[in-house]
Amino acid sequence: MGSPCELLLESGDRSVARKLIQAVADEAWRIEDKFSRYLPENIIDRINCSNGEPVETDEETASLLDFAATLTELSDGRFDITSGVLREAWKFDGNDKLPDATAVSAILERVGWNKVDWSRPRLTLQPEMQIDLGGIGKEYAVDKAAGLLLERTDISCLINFGGDIFATGISTNTDGWQVGIEAPDSDGRIATKVIRLMNGGLATSGDARRFLLKDGVRYGHILNPTTGWPVTDAPRSVTVAADTCTQAGMLATLAMLKGADAESFLDQQDIQFWCYR
Amino acid sequence: MRKLIIIIGALILTGCSSMGVEPWERDVLAKEEMQLIVDPLEVAIDEHIYFSKEASSGGRGFGGGGCGCN
Amino acid sequence: MDSKIQKTAAAKLATATCALLGTAVTVPVHAQEEPEWEFDTALLYYGESDDRVQDISLNVLAVRNYVDDRILSLSLGVDSLTGATPIGAMPFNGPQTFTSPSGLQVLTRPANEIPLDDTFLDTRVALSANWQQPVGRLNVVSAGLSLSKEYDYLHLGANFKVSRDFNQRNTTVSFGLAFASDELDPQNGAPIPFSSMPDMNDLSNRTGTKSKDVLDVVLGVTQVINRNLLVQLNYSFSSADGYLNDPYKIVSIVDPISGDPVVRPPTPGIDGPSHEYLFESRPGDHTKHSFFGQAKYYMGGKVLDASYRYMTDDWDIDSHTLDLRYRWPTGDSSYLEPHVRYYTQTHADFYRTSLANGSPLPANASADYRLGEFDAITFGLKYGWKTESGNEWNARLEMYSADGSVPGNLLIGNQAGREIYPDLDAIIFQVGYRFGR
Repeated sequence: MGSPCELLLESGDRSVARKLIQAVADEAWRIEDKFSRYLPENIIDRINCSNGEPVETDEETASLLDFAATLTELSDGRFDITSGVLREAWKFDGNDKLPDATAVSAILERVGWNKVDWSRPRLTLQPEMQIDLGGIGKEYAVDKAAGLLLERTDISCLINFGGDIFATGISTNTDGWQVGIEAPDSDGRIATKVIRLMNGGLATSGDARRFLLKDGVRYGHILNPTTGWPVTDAPRSVTVAADTCTQAGMLATLAMLKGADAESFLDQQDIQFWCYR
Repeated sequence: MRKLIIIIGALILTGCSSMGVEPWERDVLAKEEMQLIVDPLEVAIDEHIYFSKEASSGGRGFGGGGCGCN
Repeated sequence: MDSKIQKTAAAKLATATCALLGTAVTVPVHAQEEPEWEFDTALLYYGESDDRVQDISLNVLAVRNYVDDRILSLSLGVDSLTGATPIGAMPFNGPQTFTSPSGLQVLTRPANEIPLDDTFLDTRVALSANWQQPVGRLNVVSAGLSLSKEYDYLHLGANFKVSRDFNQRNTTVSFGLAFASDELDPQNGAPIPFSSMPDMNDLSNRTGTKSKDVLDVVLGVTQVINRNLLVQLNYSFSSADGYLNDPYKIVSIVDPISGDPVVRPPTPGIDGPSHEYLFESRPGDHTKHSFFGQAKYYMGGKVLDASYRYMTDDWDIDSHTLDLRYRWPTGDSSYLEPHVRYYTQTHADFYRTSLANGSPLPANASADYRLGEFDAITFGLKYGWKTESGNEWNARLEMYSADGSVPGNLLIGNQAGREIYPDLDAIIFQVGYRFGR
């Protein structure tokens, strides 16, 4: 998952806690093993090495691809799971080395969901193109793990996979879980705001520590796949509360992709959000 | 006298070291109604009333702000 | 014309997510921003029987929580006081006349009633600010300032407290210090202690403003006993220095056999006191020691709060205070809290209901009923309820009743059969509202 994952639950019973965390961890590892682009032999690897040949996908992968397609449509192309290859030009480590414009244009040839042939369950990628489910994977894992918890227990739990959060149940003992939103530029120890989450999903999209700084202009790590360059005037961070972690995460991401229009986009959605510039 | 205070202090701390709860057993103690002072405003009001009618004051913390009433 | 309602991105996303996860969400999200500011307000009515003191006050406490456990507290209180208060003179079977506290009027009081001064009318404003923050992982430090102003009184104070956790935060030790500097400025000056109450408009026995300094030290230990029981023990030390008298209180001079007040020959053409009275005199310093213990015990939803305080001082006063509160939830968001408080104190060594004419004056003497020997009991009931947005309304009604007695050795002659000690009955009614922003 690339970040620390934790499960908080309201129980004094160690054996119950062990069983639940094992279930959550197993599901998280299963999803990571299946969809990580770093692991050889999984479905993603097979797709990325398919060299133009069609690949049959299973139900779960097909559902994720359908979801990604919907997101691409909802965002007018700004969310695109084929845009991962742009990382070959952009290295976001706080330095000031902007990539060469022609290099970016060349890579852009290999980006675009419209170039993909997706007719469920068959996916055909152009050679040199890659898909990356990293933008959906963590939130999806949180919701799947939450589903497992809800089947197994009534205890109030909080799943936190690196800032993608879901709280189950309203317990009798506490008044929800207190979640702090990190202030941009702090190193995670100072929260700007505290949200009391009784149940539901909470996710944050932000530049956190991945950006380039040149001539006083901050280039966030969220790239616009239609231009190949970072989204301009994106907020420093957006946090959204929604019925599922997936919805929260996607709304936060869609907002970031809107750049300067992030707040007005979120206002129209009738959800709770916190936006920092 | 000073030695006595140090000895009593040390006894309290060592005596206290075996009592208590684990960090995950603090659910009840975290409740608002289990704080030592649940309603600071009410405590301040009462302290003021009793300070002006009786010869004793404080105990919980300080005697509070003064007034011309005693 | 598009008759379909344009679906928002969020609505389309909800449908897509439902398809992805394979289940519909049954419980909608419930998230709330924690308020940065919390306000606690209370309107209080305090009223004593027999037209004695009445106080109406408005109090506000504002607390700003900074998320790294730093806390700013600000409070404001405004009191409006009226009503009569015993001046310390002895009642007897005849009327008495006194010069008023300002020295500019005379007041006549009827026979067989404890003489009260009803020229008392005051507004008091009190402000305080306090800052608290952690220092390292286990320590907390706090510092504060306080100020209060009445017509004839100014208080300035500063306090400082440090505390540290031990034993996995099961034990907390704290040390606090408070310093106050108060100034008393009665109308036309404070009277010289033991001076005679003069005629109207005679201000010769008056001196200017007076001051007193108070130092308070508190040492405390809080200990978690078990999951449901928390205990605190405090020792406090208080030392006051300066003008500690009540400038408006007097002591009657009485005949050593009958115990009746001694008549004062009137000055021709000038109004003045009917009998001989001396302004009270208290020592110039006062040291108190208090031992306080409190326990909070959780019993399946109900909470018992019990505390006891023992106070002893160098004025020979000993007191015991026992306070019990029982909070019991009445439904999901409301509670009832009955309250009982028992208080008893012995009298100060210089407490006198009267001074025998002709005998040498003692070092100090005061007839202030608050330095006398009495028992007091409070019965109260508080009700609180939380609104949907998490704010709380509360109301409490309490009855306070103090019953004093004068030891036989202080009574002279006819005084033995009389009601000398001004028993007190008072009502406390308070309504409060707590909310966050």
